[in-house]
Amino acid sequence: MNAPAGLDFASIPERIQSEVQRAIQRSIKGVEYFSTSGPSLGSTPKDVLHSRGTMNLYHYRPMSDEIYRVPVLIVMATTNRGYILDLVPGQSFIEFLLKRGYDVYMLDWSAPRPEEKSLRMEDYVLDFIPDCVRRVQADSGEQDVSVIGYCFGGVLSLLYGSIHKDGPMKNLICFTTPIDFREMKLFSNFSDRRYFDVDHLVDSVGNVPPEMILSSFEMLRPASRTVSQIQLWENIWNDEFVKSYRMFDRWATDTLPLAGEYFRTITKDLMWDNKLFNDTMSVGGRAAKLEDIKVPILHAVAEHDHIVPYEAAKHLIAKIGSADKEEVMLKGGHVSLVAGANAVKRLWPKLDSWLGKRST
Amino acid sequence: MTDKINDPVAMWQKMVGEMEKGFNSFANQAMSSPEFSQAMNRAGGAAAGAQKQLGELMEKYLVTMNLPSREQVTGLAERLQSIEAQIGEMKSMLSQMAASSGITQGFDSAPRPPRTKRPPSENGEPT
Repeated sequence: MNAPAGLDFASIPERIQSEVQRAIQRSIKGVEYFSTSGPSLGSTPKDVLHSRGTMNLYHYRPMSDEIYRVPVLIVMATTNRGYILDLVPGQSFIEFLLKRGYDVYMLDWSAPRPEEKSLRMEDYVLDFIPDCVRRVQADSGEQDVSVIGYCFGGVLSLLYGSIHKDGPMKNLICFTTPIDFREMKLFSNFSDRRYFDVDHLVDSVGNVPPEMILSSFEMLRPASRTVSQIQLWENIWNDEFVKSYRMFDRWATDTLPLAGEYFRTITKDLMWDNKLFNDTMSVGGRAAKLEDIKVPILHAVAEHDHIVPYEAAKHLIAKIGSADKEEVMLKGGHVSLVAGANAVKRLWPKLDSWLGKRST
Repeated sequence: MTDKINDPVAMWQKMVGEMEKGFNSFANQAMSSPEFSQAMNRAGGAAAGAQKQLGELMEKYLVTMNLPSREQVTGLAERLQSIEAQIGEMKSMLSQMAASSGITQGFDSAPRPPRTKRPPSENGEPT
């Protein structure tokens, strides 16, 4: 009997030995996995500058001898926790910025309390963000502020920037920010106005429960959770893989509820009427047109983003009124664009080279 | 490359990857239909309605048991929130007063580095 082409019989005992060792390691590490907690996340030293209900403003302690003049305010997505940008040392976007000489602040969100169900889009765009910007100005002593928005944090930053066109936002960076909500095909179908009674939902439950938000994200790739658990078992002998799995899994399942009225506006104005894309969006009676944003803008999108497909994000740069604008498409998905090993090599250096020269 | 072709572990991993892609793609197609949206939202609407009814029932039960109702707890939470906000304002005012009197440079009272950094290319450093 002939050996199949390419099969090296001499390596078989070695391979069997390696697989047996891995099987033993799986059993040992498997027990360890369930008896230990994951790595500590979000541990870059910071001070809580202000906290009001769902809103938290952090200031991270500088890590360089000299910092850029313009402070940076990161606006996190309202569905998720900000520690995705501050995982562990060496894989923390915040730490990277601090070491590169930026003065970093973050607007992060806690789960809105039941009594905060009446928070509206106006509260986020015309109160929370401007309040944080004012506090960053007061704390840093600088008038200019650069804003970085991740996912829906990017949408909020765009709305803020388009309404506050006279400043003080100096630069705007958006990560994977959707503006054409028709192109978020599955979300669009889930919230089809013929069948989705958003008023009934919000009036019944108040804040939209995190389980519902998480399920809608997971439904975009229904097989992926099971497959990731298979991959975890296969790689449980590998400490680095397990550490990474635990970090991302913990973050992904740590979804926040959404304030009811805010969710109602997102559904009606953005998902149904696509107002941001159609230039008919207004917040608290104030027109929010992308063409009114004139500050330098960088939009980073991911090649394999299944949550915000490129089609939903691609018109942002064309619609912005700035002369200094750039879109960069990088390999990766919605999360790996901003966090993890890929981001360390791709997005972060790109962002540093873009923002550094605009921060003096 | 040839090793991968004959490696059962690599083959298994590839198969799992392909199955994941295939299933996700199939499910995405199925979920794109209006029928799916209708069925999903009918179930979701019923669940939300049931949750509301259960909440009302629980509220009545709590009143009977002489326990604080949700409304009362919410009222307390609102008062706490208002106290938190006032403390926050006081901290902020103290911080501003301290900063203007030159006692400290920031909220955390740690000295801040100077804001003089230039991008590496301007200093002749490699980017």
